[in-house]
Amino acid sequence: MLAATNYIPYPHWLNPADNTWQLVAATLVGLMSLPGLAVLYGGLVRKKWIVNTMLMVFAGFSLTLVVWMLWGYNMAFGTLSHFGPTGSFWSGFIGHFEPLARAGSEQGQAVSGANSLIPFHYSTATLAYFQFVFAAITPLLFLGGLVGRLKFKAWLLIVPLWITVVYCVNAALLWGGGFFAQKGAVDYSGGYVIHLSAGVAAFVGAAIVGPRRWQDRENAFPSNLMMVAVGAGILWLGWNGFNGGDPFYAGADAAAAVLNTNVATAVALLTWLLLDMYFSRQKKPTFLGAINGMICGLVAITPSAGWVNGVGAIFVGLIASTIVWIAWNYVSRLRPFSKVDDALGVIYTHGFAGLTGGLLVGILADPGMTEYGVKGANYKGSGNFSVGGVFFTHSWHQFWEQFLAAVWIIGYTAAGTAVVFYVVKFLCRGLRESDEVLALGDVAIHEEEAFPEPTFGEPVASPSHLHPDNV
Amino acid sequence: MKLVTAVIKPFKLDEVKVAVKEVGVTGMTVSQVRGFGHTGGHIEIYRGKEYEFDFVDKIRVELVCTDELVDTIIEAIVNAARTDTVGDGMAWVSDVEHVVRIRTNERGPEAL
Repeated sequence: MLAATNYIPYPHWLNPADNTWQLVAATLVGLMSLPGLAVLYGGLVRKKWIVNTMLMVFAGFSLTLVVWMLWGYNMAFGTLSHFGPTGSFWSGFIGHFEPLARAGSEQGQAVSGANSLIPFHYSTATLAYFQFVFAAITPLLFLGGLVGRLKFKAWLLIVPLWITVVYCVNAALLWGGGFFAQKGAVDYSGGYVIHLSAGVAAFVGAAIVGPRRWQDRENAFPSNLMMVAVGAGILWLGWNGFNGGDPFYAGADAAAAVLNTNVATAVALLTWLLLDMYFSRQKKPTFLGAINGMICGLVAITPSAGWVNGVGAIFVGLIASTIVWIAWNYVSRLRPFSKVDDALGVIYTHGFAGLTGGLLVGILADPGMTEYGVKGANYKGSGNFSVGGVFFTHSWHQFWEQFLAAVWIIGYTAAGTAVVFYVVKFLCRGLRESDEVLALGDVAIHEEEAFPEPTFGEPVASPSHLHPDNV
Repeated sequence: MKLVTAVIKPFKLDEVKVAVKEVGVTGMTVSQVRGFGHTGGHIEIYRGKEYEFDFVDKIRVELVCTDELVDTIIEAIVNAARTDTVGDGMAWVSDVEHVVRIRTNERGPEAL
C-alpha cells in the first residue's frame, strides 16, 4: 500500500514553484494578446475597424496555437535537424516537422535547446505553452501595420505560413540552441525574435498589401482612448510574465528581470512624455505619445531584462525611447518610411525599439547579473551564465554578435515575409479589400459593428413591429 | 402657437429648465448637437496628427407655447443661459400651424 506521506503527485524532476511560475507567466503573456492587443488596437483604429481588428487578433492567436501543436513547437524548440556539419548554420536553423502528439510530449520533462545549462523543472506542456504565447503575439504585433485594409481571408493564411517560415526559424536560431545561440548572440525574451521581427514584418507586409484608403489615413481618429489605456496597462503588467518567465526558473533573475522591465518602461514613458512636452511641434503632453514611450521601454528592455543592472535598465528606457521618438517624428518623413503605410507604426515602437534594445545588450549587460547560478549534480554548463557588455568587459565581442544576429533577423524576416505575403496574394487574388468595402469597414466584412444601436435595428426573422405583443 | 428653439451652452441646461418651468412651460425637448458660431474651434492631437474641431458641443432646446407666453419664455431663457461670453448661443421663434397631443388626440392650444 502506498503510504500517503510518501506520495508526491509529480515526478522528481518537477519543481512545483518553477512549474507554477512558468504557467502563470505564460498566462500573463497570453493576456497581452487577449484582450491586451485586441483592445489596444481596437482603441487605436477608427470606429468602423474595431470588430475586424479584434477578430484578427483572436483568430491569429487560435491559428498559431494549432500550428504550434502540429509542428511549430518542435520546429522552433525541438531537437534540431542537422542539414549540415555540426556547428554550421545548416545544422542549427530549424527543428523537426512533427506534432506534440504523444502523452510524453506533454507530460514528459521539457528538453530543449532553449536551455543547455540546467534541466527544466517542468513538463514539455508547460514549456510549449509558454513558448506558444510568445509565438502568438508576434503576428498580432505586426498586424498593427496592416489593419484597415487587409483581407480577412488573407490573414487566416498569413499567420500559419509566417509562423512556420519566419518565426520558427528565427526562434530556433536564437533560442532553440541554433546557430546564433551557439555563436553567442543572446535575446533574453524576444527583442529580436519577436519585436524586431514583428516591426520588419509589419513594414514589409504593409508595403506589399498597399496603403489604407487616403480618407482613412487622413482621418485616423482613434476610436477609444480608454480602451487603449486598458490594453496598454495589460501589456505593461503582462510583460512581467514576458520577461520574468524567460529565465525558465522562478529564481532571483526572474525577479530582477521583472523589476528592470518595469523601471525601463517607466523611464521610457516619461522620456517620451517630456520630449513631447518640450520638443514636439505642439509641445503638449499626449496620452497616446506616453503609451508609445511605454511600449518602447517594454520592447527595448526585453532583450536584456535579466542581464542589465538597475542603472542599465534606466539607460535602456532612456536611450530607446529617445531613439524611437526621433524615428517616429523625423525618420518617418524619409524614404522608404514615408512611402509605406504602417498603420499603427509597428516599425518604430517594435522594430526600432527591438533593434536598439538588442544592440544595447552588447553595451550595458552586467556580467554580475547571473541568470543561472546553480551548480548542482544536474549542472551541465561551465560556469554561471551571464552576459557582459562593452561597458563592463571593454570588449566589443558581445555587441558584434548582437549586431550579426540583428542583420540576420532583419534580412531573413524581410525576405520570408515577402515570400509569405506574395504567396497569399496569389492565393487570395490580392491582399487588399476593395475601396467600396474599405469605406464601410466592419459592417461590409463581418456584418457586425462594435457599438450596434438597438434603437435603429429590428430582428429580420421576427420583425418587432409584427410581434403579437405589439399589435 | 409658437415654437421656441434655443441653442445653448450645455452646462446652462439645468438653469434654463428651471427658468422656463417657473414661467409655466409644461414640456420641452432637448437634444445634444454641435455647431459653430462666433466661437473658434479647437485642435486635438492624436499620434502627432492634428485635427481641427470647428463644431462645438451645444444643447438644442425646443418647446411649443401659446402666443402670449413667447416673450416671457424668451426672457427666461436669455436670463438663464447668458454668461456674457462668446458662444452663449441663440434662440429663435417660429410659427406653429398645428399641435396634437398624441395620447388624448387634443388639438391646438388645448394640447399644450
